[in-house]
Amino acid sequence: MTLNPLTIKKIKRFKSIKRGYVSFIILCFMIFVSLFAEFFVNNRAAIVYYNGNLFFPTYGNMKSGTSFGLDYDYETDYRELSRRFKAEKNGNWILMPVVPFNAYENDLRNDAYPPFPPSLQDKHYLGTDIIGRDMVARLIYGFRIAILFSLVLLLVNYTIGISIGCAMGFFGGKFDLFFQRIIEVWSNVPFLYVVIIISSIVVPNFFMLILIMTFFGWIGMTWTMRTITYKEKAREYSLAAQALGASNFRIIFKHIIPNTVSIIVTFAPFSVSGGIVSLTSLDYLGFGLPPPTPSWGELLQQGWSNMDAYWIVGSVIVAMTVTLITVTFIGEAVREAFDPKLHTTFE
Amino acid sequence: MTAYFIRRFILIVPTFLGVTIMVFAITRFVPGGPIERLIAQAQQMQRVEGGVSERSGTGGQSQPLSEEQIAQLKKYYGFDKPVLVSYFLWLGKVLTGDLGTSTRYYDPVWSMIRERIPISLYFGMISMILVYGVCIPLGIAKAIRHKSSFDNITSIIVFIGYAVPGWVVGILALVVFASHWEFFPLGGLVSDGFDSFTLIEKAKDVAWHTILPVIAYVVGSFTVMTLLMKNTLMDNLASDYVRTAIAKGLTFNKAVFKHALRNSLIPIATHFGNNISVILMGSFLIEKVFNINGMGLLGYESIVERDYPVVLGILVISSLLLMIGNILSDICVAIVDPRVQFE
Repeated sequence: MTLNPLTIKKIKRFKSIKRGYVSFIILCFMIFVSLFAEFFVNNRAAIVYYNGNLFFPTYGNMKSGTSFGLDYDYETDYRELSRRFKAEKNGNWILMPVVPFNAYENDLRNDAYPPFPPSLQDKHYLGTDIIGRDMVARLIYGFRIAILFSLVLLLVNYTIGISIGCAMGFFGGKFDLFFQRIIEVWSNVPFLYVVIIISSIVVPNFFMLILIMTFFGWIGMTWTMRTITYKEKAREYSLAAQALGASNFRIIFKHIIPNTVSIIVTFAPFSVSGGIVSLTSLDYLGFGLPPPTPSWGELLQQGWSNMDAYWIVGSVIVAMTVTLITVTFIGEAVREAFDPKLHTTFE
Repeated sequence: MTAYFIRRFILIVPTFLGVTIMVFAITRFVPGGPIERLIAQAQQMQRVEGGVSERSGTGGQSQPLSEEQIAQLKKYYGFDKPVLVSYFLWLGKVLTGDLGTSTRYYDPVWSMIRERIPISLYFGMISMILVYGVCIPLGIAKAIRHKSSFDNITSIIVFIGYAVPGWVVGILALVVFASHWEFFPLGGLVSDGFDSFTLIEKAKDVAWHTILPVIAYVVGSFTVMTLLMKNTLMDNLASDYVRTAIAKGLTFNKAVFKHALRNSLIPIATHFGNNISVILMGSFLIEKVFNINGMGLLGYESIVERDYPVVLGILVISSLLLMIGNILSDICVAIVDPRVQFE
C-alpha cells in the first residue's frame, strides 16, 4: 500500500506533536510487553538448562516434574527447581521471568495472611492482592484484557457504524428515515443501567460482553458517519464520479470512505479509552468478566474494601491514569494532525 | 419546529415500550428470581431446623415447598402468566402510577424511590452549580490568555480530569484523605448519632460528608465544559463582528462580555438538559464508592438482590428522565439560538 502525500503529511504532523507521539510510543511499548507477558511475568521459567539440553517452557504443554529429575508428575514448580539447581551446583541453570508468578496462583504462607505489601525479596514488586496473587501479574494481564477488549469493541462498533451510517448517508430515503427513528429510540436507553441489568443476569464471557456493549454502543459512530457521508456525497468529486458512471459500490469504497478516514481516525483513541473505562466500571461493580479473570476493576473493588492495603489501590490507579492519559494525549495529537482546527486568535 | 418537538414527544412512547419490554423479558427468562430465592431460603431453613430428621432418611435435598405453595407464590409475584400478559398488567399499573411492591423489602417501589431522590438531588445540584460556576469563568480566562502558561498549566490539569473517570478519583480521594489521613469520613451522608446533633453541627456534618463525593462528581463534566467554553469563545473572538465592535471603539472587555460571550454560551446550553438525569439519578459508581443512599445505589442494590420491581421502577424513571432531558436540551438550543432549525 502506498500512502498518498496527504497522509504522509498528516503522519509527519502527528510525529511533530511531541506529547502525543511520545504517548503513542509508550502505549505501543505497553501493549507489546503485555502481549508477550508470559516471558516477563509467569511462574514458568523462560529458559531451563538441564543435563545439556535447553528447554523453553513458556508456551506449549506443561512439563511434568519428572522431565527435570523431580519425583512428581504434575507441572514443575520452577521457583523450587531454581533453588534446587543452585544448591546442587552441577551446571544446570534456570532463567526465571522478572516476576516469577502468574496472574492466577495464590502465593500463600503459613505464618501470615494476604494481602502482602510490596517486597523485593519475595519478588512481589507491588505486593499481592487480598488472596495472595501477585499485583504486577494481575495488572499486566488485566491491561492486556482491557486493551484487547476495547480494541475489539472499537472494531465491531466501527464496522457496524461505518456500514450502516455510510449507507444511510449515501442512499438516504426510506432506509435513512427508518434507521434515524431507530437511533432516536436507541440513544434514549440508559446505557450503563441496562448493560448492568443484562450482564447481572447472563454472566458474560469476553465476546458476550462485547456483544452486549455493541448492542447499545453502535449508534455513536453510525450517526457521525451518516453526517460525513451526507456531506461528502454532495461534493463535486463524488458528483463527478457519478456523472462518469461509477457504480455506487465504487463511489462508496473508492471515493467516500477514503475521504472520511481522517475523521474516523480522530474518534478512535477516545473510543479506546471509553472501552477501558466501561470494562473497568463493570468489573468494579461486579458485572464484568467473571472471576478469576485479571481485571483492574476487580482490583479497584478489592482496594476499595481494603483501604489499608494502599499498594492495591495505588498501583491500579497509577496504571489506569498512565494508560488513560497516554490514550487521551494520542487522541488530542491525532485530532490536531488529521483534522486541524486552526484557531485564529484575537490580536 | 413545533412539529419536530411533537414528534420527539411521541417518540417517547415506542422508546419506553422497547426498553421496558426488553428488560422485562430478560428478568423473566433467567433463573435467580424471587421464587428461586424463597425456595433456597426455605431449603436452608429446613436444613438448619431439621438437621437430624434429614439424616434419618427423608431424602436429603427434598423440595421444601409444595407444588401448591409454589403456585401461590407465582401468583403473588405475577409469574403464573405468560410474559406478554404480565408485561401489560405491569404496564397498566405503571400508567396509573403504581410501580409495584419490592419483592425484597415488601415496600411500595415508588415510596422507596421517593425517599432516595432528595439525596441524589442534593449532590446533583451542588455539582451542577460548581461545574457551571467554575467552568464558564475558567473557560473565558483560558480563551483570553490562549497559549499563555496559565492556559497550558490548567490544560494539563483539566486533561487528567478528563482521562480518569470520576469514581476512580473518588476511590483515590477516599484512600488518601479518608483512610490514610482521616481528614474526611469514609462515605455515607451523616455520622453516627446524627439525630442528637444541634442544627449547626448537623450542617457541618453533612458538609463534611459532601466534599469528597462532590469532587468525584465534578471532575468528569468539568473538562468538557471548560474546553467547550474556551473553544467556542475563541472562535467567536476571531470572528468579524467582534473585530468590528472593537474597530468602532468598544473596549476589549466590553466586546468580550457583551458580544462574544453571549454567542459562546449556545453550545453550553445544549448540555443543559442532560443534567436532569444526572441530578435526579446520581451516578451508580460514585454513589457506590461513597456509600451514598441515592437513586444510583438503590438501582445497584436492587440489581444485585434481583429485586425486579425496583429494577424496573428505576428503569422507568431513569429512561423517562433521559428522554425528557434530551428534549429539554433541544428546546434550550432552539430558545438560545434562533438560527437552529430542527427538521
